[in-house]
Amino acid sequence: MNTPLRLSPIDAALRSLQGHWGEVNGMPTLMHRPRAAHWPVGIADLSSLTRFGVKGANAAAWLSQQGIPVPQRPNTWRSLPPGGLVARLGLTEFLIEDGLSSNVAPQLAARCQTPPARVYPVLRQDLALALVGDRTQELLRQTCSVNFQAVDVSQHPVVLTSMIGVTVTIIPTEMAGQLVYRLWCDGTFGTYFWKTLIEMATELGGGAIGVEQVPFNTASERGV
Amino acid sequence: MSHRLPPLPGEWIDRSQRIEFTFEGDRLWGYAGDIITSALWASGRRTLGRSFKYHRPRGILSLANHDVNVLVQHGQQLNLRADVTPIAAGMVLSAVNTNGGVRSDRNSVLDFFSPFLPVGFYYKAFHNRRWFPFWERLIRNISGLGAVDVSTPHLRTAKRYDFCQVLVIGAGVAGLAAAIAAAEAGAEVVLVDENPRVGGSGCYQLGADDRQAEQVQALVQAVQGCDRIRVYTSTVAAGYYADHWVPLVEPDRMTKLRAKAVIMANGAYEQPAVFRNNDLPGVMLASAAQRLIYRYAVKPMQRAVVFTANRDGYRAALDLAKHGVEVRAIVELRSHLTASELTQAVTAQGMPIYLGHCLYEAQASPAQDGVAAAVVCPVAANGEPQPQFRQTIACDGIVMSVGWAPAANLLYQAGAKLRFDESLQQFVPDWLPPGIFACGRVNGVYNFQQKLQDGKRAGLAAAAFLGYAVTPTAAHSVWLGDRTESPSHPWPIIEHPAGKNFVDFDEDLQYKDFPNAIQEGFDNIELLKRFTTVGMGPSQGKHANMNALRILAKITGKTPGEVGTTTARPFFHPVPMSHLAGRGFSPERHTPLHERHAALNAKFMLAGMWRRPEYYQRPGKRREECILAEANAVRHGVGLIDVGTLGKLELHGPDAAEFLERVYTGRFRNLKVGMSRYALMLDESGVVIDDGVVARFSPEQFYFTTTTGGATAIYRELSRLNTLWQLDCGLVNLTGAQAAVNLAGPDSRAVLAKLTDLDLSGAAFPYLGVRAANVAGIPARLMRVGFVGEWGYEIHVPAESAPALWDALMAAGADWNITPFGVEAQRLLRLEKGHVIVGQDTDGLTTPREANLTWAIKMEKPFFVGQRSLQAIAQRPLKQILVGFMLDPNYTGYPPQECHLVIDGNDIAGRVTSVAYSPTLSRYIGLAYVKPELAALGTTFSIRLSDRSLVTARVSPTPFYDPDNQRQQETVLTTLQEVSI
Repeated sequence: MNTPLRLSPIDAALRSLQGHWGEVNGMPTLMHRPRAAHWPVGIADLSSLTRFGVKGANAAAWLSQQGIPVPQRPNTWRSLPPGGLVARLGLTEFLIEDGLSSNVAPQLAARCQTPPARVYPVLRQDLALALVGDRTQELLRQTCSVNFQAVDVSQHPVVLTSMIGVTVTIIPTEMAGQLVYRLWCDGTFGTYFWKTLIEMATELGGGAIGVEQVPFNTASERGV
Repeated sequence: MSHRLPPLPGEWIDRSQRIEFTFEGDRLWGYAGDIITSALWASGRRTLGRSFKYHRPRGILSLANHDVNVLVQHGQQLNLRADVTPIAAGMVLSAVNTNGGVRSDRNSVLDFFSPFLPVGFYYKAFHNRRWFPFWERLIRNISGLGAVDVSTPHLRTAKRYDFCQVLVIGAGVAGLAAAIAAAEAGAEVVLVDENPRVGGSGCYQLGADDRQAEQVQALVQAVQGCDRIRVYTSTVAAGYYADHWVPLVEPDRMTKLRAKAVIMANGAYEQPAVFRNNDLPGVMLASAAQRLIYRYAVKPMQRAVVFTANRDGYRAALDLAKHGVEVRAIVELRSHLTASELTQAVTAQGMPIYLGHCLYEAQASPAQDGVAAAVVCPVAANGEPQPQFRQTIACDGIVMSVGWAPAANLLYQAGAKLRFDESLQQFVPDWLPPGIFACGRVNGVYNFQQKLQDGKRAGLAAAAFLGYAVTPTAAHSVWLGDRTESPSHPWPIIEHPAGKNFVDFDEDLQYKDFPNAIQEGFDNIELLKRFTTVGMGPSQGKHANMNALRILAKITGKTPGEVGTTTARPFFHPVPMSHLAGRGFSPERHTPLHERHAALNAKFMLAGMWRRPEYYQRPGKRREECILAEANAVRHGVGLIDVGTLGKLELHGPDAAEFLERVYTGRFRNLKVGMSRYALMLDESGVVIDDGVVARFSPEQFYFTTTTGGATAIYRELSRLNTLWQLDCGLVNLTGAQAAVNLAGPDSRAVLAKLTDLDLSGAAFPYLGVRAANVAGIPARLMRVGFVGEWGYEIHVPAESAPALWDALMAAGADWNITPFGVEAQRLLRLEKGHVIVGQDTDGLTTPREANLTWAIKMEKPFFVGQRSLQAIAQRPLKQILVGFMLDPNYTGYPPQECHLVIDGNDIAGRVTSVAYSPTLSRYIGLAYVKPELAALGTTFSIRLSDRSLVTARVSPTPFYDPDNQRQQETVLTTLQEVSI
């Protein structure tokens, strides 16, 4: 069989779309869609990025020992030097996600095979999205009760909330001068979540875009 | 188009765009910007609709979104309010609630039967059981608004959230001033108004004074030029919810707006006077006539009589006269009149004022479709009319201006305390909750200049509340207002022996209905409302409740304040169902294998939020045949089922075993690494709430499953307990991150062996063993389980790799004709094995004893959740117990269903929880709760089927299939594999 060992939670939904496909970290990935560069709302599937979760009372200390810059306050995030981010999801839980080219999460997962006391690895199999475009705010307003306009991006906030009935983690961030919303949810809600967002984005004049159309910061190796 | 006025400054119509439409078969036209009512009135139509009960002709009353007797249908769109719906080219309109058209409605005969339709008619009619069907048929035939087209498409109406610092509800004079003041102080403001344009009454209650309109226009321009103010027009703030959450209903969407402060500038509803025939087309509120003039440039009538009790009536008279209406008389209900610029202007124009008079009766035109004359008479000191002195004044229209009722619905919903102000004859805010402010008419302020001041005060107060620096005087939250003249008369109600003096136009309630209801004992406002149905029509009492309240107060000798108001619930204005439904978000979960199932023609079913394969459709086969084929494949070959919907949790830490000991009924401290055990969970009351399998992968690492439906709640509860107990362990929810399949059947080992290096022999990997290994190159956790009664493996892998695992297993199993099986086959297979499904074979009261699960309880443990309750209930006799049963193998009738009752004699003795035809045993088998005296093996009982016939069942031992678990023995497996080869 030639089935890839990694498939996105919305692989089937993406397959019907016209576009250029590639492979990121062993996962078939929609890289580019024609005529989508300036859409008012674009949604990209970033599930192919590798990620790792860890929780427990000693998780922060363990991450520091691994050289990870740990956000000091709950519900904030920091960039990873080689690309990617580390988000503090509460007092004792963290999400680490690589950029397009970095490899931090798999290394952490490997080192956590036999974790020290009070460090618990968390398998992350999220649907990971990026929302870009001028009308993203309108899309968020139709789907989420959080006032993102009042969120101060410079404070590196991590918003844990609910969107169209699904628990989500959202990071509003600036990428190459553009406001981009990074979003993660349980992959088993992926098809519902993706189809619903795309339906709305289409009404707003946008739709699905490829990974390459997300304005990653080139300076930090396409990390967040 | 003889009733259209010359162009007016500020009119809402665009005379360059002529729009044609059809009303009741007549081709008509209006201008862009016209609403249906204004276009009809301009064309000379006067009877625009029929009343709800008596089918009396009705025209304009308020022209303010409350004329519910003029509802029209346009194609699939029902009950459009003609007084706010714009005309559109090609509209084909008809009045609802008519039988034969609005002009010659055959149901108007009901008007003659009105004496036989007393107040509380519905209650009285339906009270008699014998006559109930008659009345039901009759009323069903007569009633109903419009014709529903069931093919109407589902409208996907967006809902959205919005946010602001200050929400100003109502863009009249006070609202505009409030918005500007708050914005100038620094606040971000949202200003909403139900009308398509802002300005409110400031744009039409002019009293022929154009300076006021100019002032309002200046306010409008200030709002439009302010970056901090966003304006929502054609938007109804339809309710108030906690923390300043207000649903804004727009034509094509609903916005749920969260504000930090709310200014209620909702205004007031003008109230009708109650006199005989006050419902004739041509009798309208003064504000309606003024809207008709200034918004749509339509002349309301040619000759008017103005019935008034406040200054607004004089303003209306002046506006009418300015636009060519001959004002034949001003009938002033008050006995004393304070001279003012308005009264002087009226007198100067020669309009006769009938001081201390009432409008006793409107006389209908010969065709009964309009006003022919107004009958006026003096009012005695006690408020009674003196008809012996009546005079008749010919006219074709009557304008009413006798009082107002505050649009205080949202204030009430926000928790404001209102009191009845005698001098104003109005309920006004007495105390406002933090962050709520009121101004303008709803605050008892009617004078134009004072409304400006009051609005500014409220705007500044809201800004101060948010921390913006404003002058100290802004701290007052309630304005005292002008008390020199009341805008509302305390008794604008004129009794008439012939009746038809309507209080509630929605429900055709006359004055006499109220004394009658009160006499029958319905003498408080809530009871009166429900018995008479006052205020229960589509306008929700906006023009009826105040007069009803005054009537009740007068008859019971109370003040209106003592009578009080009815409860104002959201939404206070009708909201389309499409807006409430929105897009209809229904979160649904798919396992990573969903597309594989779909490709195999799976028929999906909902299991909680999950969509699971019920069975796989085979060409030309019935559902039951497909399920039996799948079950047979598992029994005799190999099957594959997606069990990724199970809750999957991981527990780490030195206290992990202790934690499991406490939350489950069994023992887990002694569970060996590499083994698994059935786990049963109870709640504090000893009721079975979940079960699963606990696997130990290391001394401090457990991996366990929960039921599909229980996963979320169980994880939440276990997290709570972990926090509470402060044990040294950590819980991780892997339900979505891990996929799982069950490879089951005698050939399962052979299939799996092709994909892994793991030693799968019974000795190396025994029944209930667990292992970590690679399967098809994918890191996996394997558990030897026997839920379906065959040799099998649950294989858990990361979700992203599940399709690869599935494809590899299907390919590896091709030589053994591997068969995917669904939930129904699994249910059948586990039933043969006698396994209980929590939630199906248990309910919210089932204890382990009743479900025959005491073998999974270790009462000798120091503690587990539910243990104390089990000790308590152990002393009580059992009321029911779960038993297995079989039907006669020759039974060929209709099979019993789950939830069918067990009958003993003539009594209910239990119920069936599971039942299926077993292909292995060639008969129906099942599980049922029965009385303990019926539980002995071999006992027979009856099951009542849906057709009420009885079928006999016999209590049988479980498991029905492989009671000695031989299928998990390697020797048996080897034999079976040899047979299969």
